[in-house]
Amino acid sequence: MTPVVELRGVTKEYRGVPAVKNVSFTLERGEVHAVLGENGAGKSTLTKMVAGVVQPSAGEVWIDGEKVALSTPSEALTRGVAMVYQETSLVPSLTVAQNIYLTDDKRFHRLRGIYIAGQQFLQSLNFHVDPTAMVATLGAGQKQMVEIARAVHHDAKVIIFDEPTATLTPEEKHQFFSLVERLKLRGVSVIFISHALEEALAIADRITVMRDGEHVVTDVTSAFDREKIVRAMVGRTLSGELYGSHRDRTLRTPGDKVLSVQNLSMGSVVRNTSFSVFAGQITGVFGLIGSGRTEAAKVVAGVLKRDLFHGGQVRLNGKSVRYRVPRPAVRDGIIYVTEDRKLEGFFETMSIAENIHIAAIAGGQSKSATVSISEMRQIAQHWIEALNVKAINADARVIELSGGNQQKVVVAKALVQKPKLVIFDEPTRGVDVGAIAEIHQLINRLADDGIAVLVISSYLPEVLQLSDRILVCRQGRIVEEFEGNKADKETIMYAAVH
Amino acid sequence: MIAAFARTFDNLFGRGEAAVTVPPLDGAFRPNRMLDEAGSRAALEGVDCLATHGDTLVASAGRVLMELGKDGHWVQRQDFGTSIVCIASLGADGLATALADGEIVIVGGPRAGQSYRIDSKATCITAMTSRNGELIVANGSATNAPGDWQKDLLERNASGSIWRIDLESGASSCIDDGLAWPAGLAIDGDVLVVAEAWRHQLVRFDPERPSSRKVVLADLPAYPGRIAPAADGFWLAMFAPRSQLVEFVLREPSYRRRMMAEVPQPYWVAPRLRSGRSFYESLQGGGVKHLGMLKPWAPTMSAGLCVRLDRAFQPRSSLQSRADGSTHGVTSAIEHQRRLFVAARGDGVIVSLPIDTIATDRGGSR
Repeated sequence: MTPVVELRGVTKEYRGVPAVKNVSFTLERGEVHAVLGENGAGKSTLTKMVAGVVQPSAGEVWIDGEKVALSTPSEALTRGVAMVYQETSLVPSLTVAQNIYLTDDKRFHRLRGIYIAGQQFLQSLNFHVDPTAMVATLGAGQKQMVEIARAVHHDAKVIIFDEPTATLTPEEKHQFFSLVERLKLRGVSVIFISHALEEALAIADRITVMRDGEHVVTDVTSAFDREKIVRAMVGRTLSGELYGSHRDRTLRTPGDKVLSVQNLSMGSVVRNTSFSVFAGQITGVFGLIGSGRTEAAKVVAGVLKRDLFHGGQVRLNGKSVRYRVPRPAVRDGIIYVTEDRKLEGFFETMSIAENIHIAAIAGGQSKSATVSISEMRQIAQHWIEALNVKAINADARVIELSGGNQQKVVVAKALVQKPKLVIFDEPTRGVDVGAIAEIHQLINRLADDGIAVLVISSYLPEVLQLSDRILVCRQGRIVEEFEGNKADKETIMYAAVH
Repeated sequence: MIAAFARTFDNLFGRGEAAVTVPPLDGAFRPNRMLDEAGSRAALEGVDCLATHGDTLVASAGRVLMELGKDGHWVQRQDFGTSIVCIASLGADGLATALADGEIVIVGGPRAGQSYRIDSKATCITAMTSRNGELIVANGSATNAPGDWQKDLLERNASGSIWRIDLESGASSCIDDGLAWPAGLAIDGDVLVVAEAWRHQLVRFDPERPSSRKVVLADLPAYPGRIAPAADGFWLAMFAPRSQLVEFVLREPSYRRRMMAEVPQPYWVAPRLRSGRSFYESLQGGGVKHLGMLKPWAPTMSAGLCVRLDRAFQPRSSLQSRADGSTHGVTSAIEHQRRLFVAARGDGVIVSLPIDTIATDRGGSR
């Protein structure tokens, strides 16, 4: 049977640097094919060649047994190939239904018509999203759902999902997996890129592993286990190191109470929540998306404002603080490492050195009235080495780095400010396995150095692996606290949803 | 002028001093039921203070001094005819027993039967400790008796003082005053540590230089009481929890005045050693009960809380009795023969448990 998609020896080079090297790949009809690899392994580039986003430097792309030269995504869409991107490509100022029907052949729609059709369509996918809601008001998980719905609406034969579950809650992930099953039954082929290896093992028929732009192995899923995939991805065993048994760990003895959040309220998102963070300890916060974890952290860091009337108190080292903007918080030693690094984490068109230096200036570490290029290079080089950022040099633009290295730059920006309290919000989202281990080691090192660390994560194994204390957030408040080496997944999840 | 404006602004928006907030029970204060689950439990109506006298553990309960017999039962040792407000060990010199009228009587030892007074007007002795032939005494309030602690809190007084009595000469002198209900004392080397209940903090200072006062533990989630030395730190009894409702009432002077004038004391909106005994009390109904059962996590006016502090007076773990528990109003905790004894005056019980079974919640041994 002819594969629905076939790549024959494709290569893609950027400025002479190969991102994908002589890779062959096939996708059968009605198959779910997972493509795994570290960030920078070339998975996204490979799939973008199928979706017409990039053109191969060498090699051939065959769709339905026909050799094609796709120059644009819309050309690929006419051939039945749709891609759901990691970063949402929706128009924020339009409604959900308008976004779904935006690229229809039909140019004019009645609003009422698309709202009714949109409602039915979303219901058929079991997505609980209001079709009349403005996309800008949706959470990351819901945006992902709309993105998926749009691809399904275009009746694609091949749908490429790039990290589709990174922003979804466990329930939403369950729905997503059943959607993929339904697509499969309809004969749709799916290429699934993910860092969550368990998901790939659960959902895929075949798995392809890539490393450094090269094809490593392709086989049926039953031939793999987690350990084997990780070994193929990174060429070494990291699994145990990453998410080994958290029960064997010795917890750190906490130092002074650095942060005390008391009865904090912010609209209906954060509701009278209270928690403490201690020096020299990692405090993990687990909760479903929308449980108010990020918002509470942002209030602490001065990014968001608490309620005007009786909004509660934030005490830093025993002193009541209230920040209207992040700058004074940074000066006081509170650093918030954002979950959305592309939007809030760095200036993508600037170099690594410029990004890190800007953070040093913001944190008052650089006293000079003028920018000293040599100082900038020196600071950047120190952090590039300290965090093992893989880049040609400090002048490389951050946008050109892989997700894991981008995250390291964001972390370098935080650490250059000599913080007392670091809040990591989803520190390893969209980060490859190798970089996850390095970021985890870095977080542990910070706590060992006596810094108070708060880690917000939706990925339970990560919370269990890192945390000395685990706080569970539900409906805008902290509802439960567990010891890092005694909690188990079921108990934490129960606290998070009930 | 600016301060007055800032105060008005804070009152309007509920910020600064007017913020009605309470620190969370987390970290070392993580909720548990260890006091209720303690293996040994003895009913002793009115039990208040624990101390050791030689090898014997003694407890004050109303007018009588009780001692723990070899068979593990509490037996009466002496009736003072008037309420005992506090007891403290003097080591080989016997036991100091403070009475409700301000008199301090020595029981046992070479000074048995001797009595002392810190001041003719001081009748609110809350805690005592001894060092180098001196007795250090905390006088909780200049205007209220020990039993009127709720009134003192609601009046927002800070008239407590610390005194020293030379046991040889009987001379007394004031070390420091202006304290908000000093309810616990501990000697740490050369310095004195005082639990200042209404300011929810522990302060330390050199008795020779009271101006050296320094806060060692602040912003506690409950009102700190008596402190007792432990093998690797100290035990702090916290007699009642703080609540947002009480914090709110404390910031409303006219409401407080009317409540204290018009409502009987048992029904004031104030912390208690034991709550939930009358349906006239505040905090009733669906807010605290579910299907007729009191929620363990309900906001409560009383609870049981005993905290283990390390040598730097930082909390390491705690033993608790939650809203629906039966060991409320902990007024004293003491280590004796590798067991921890906790006196819960609210419920009139003494519970005890082996020291080795008490996990250090905050630390590597978890």
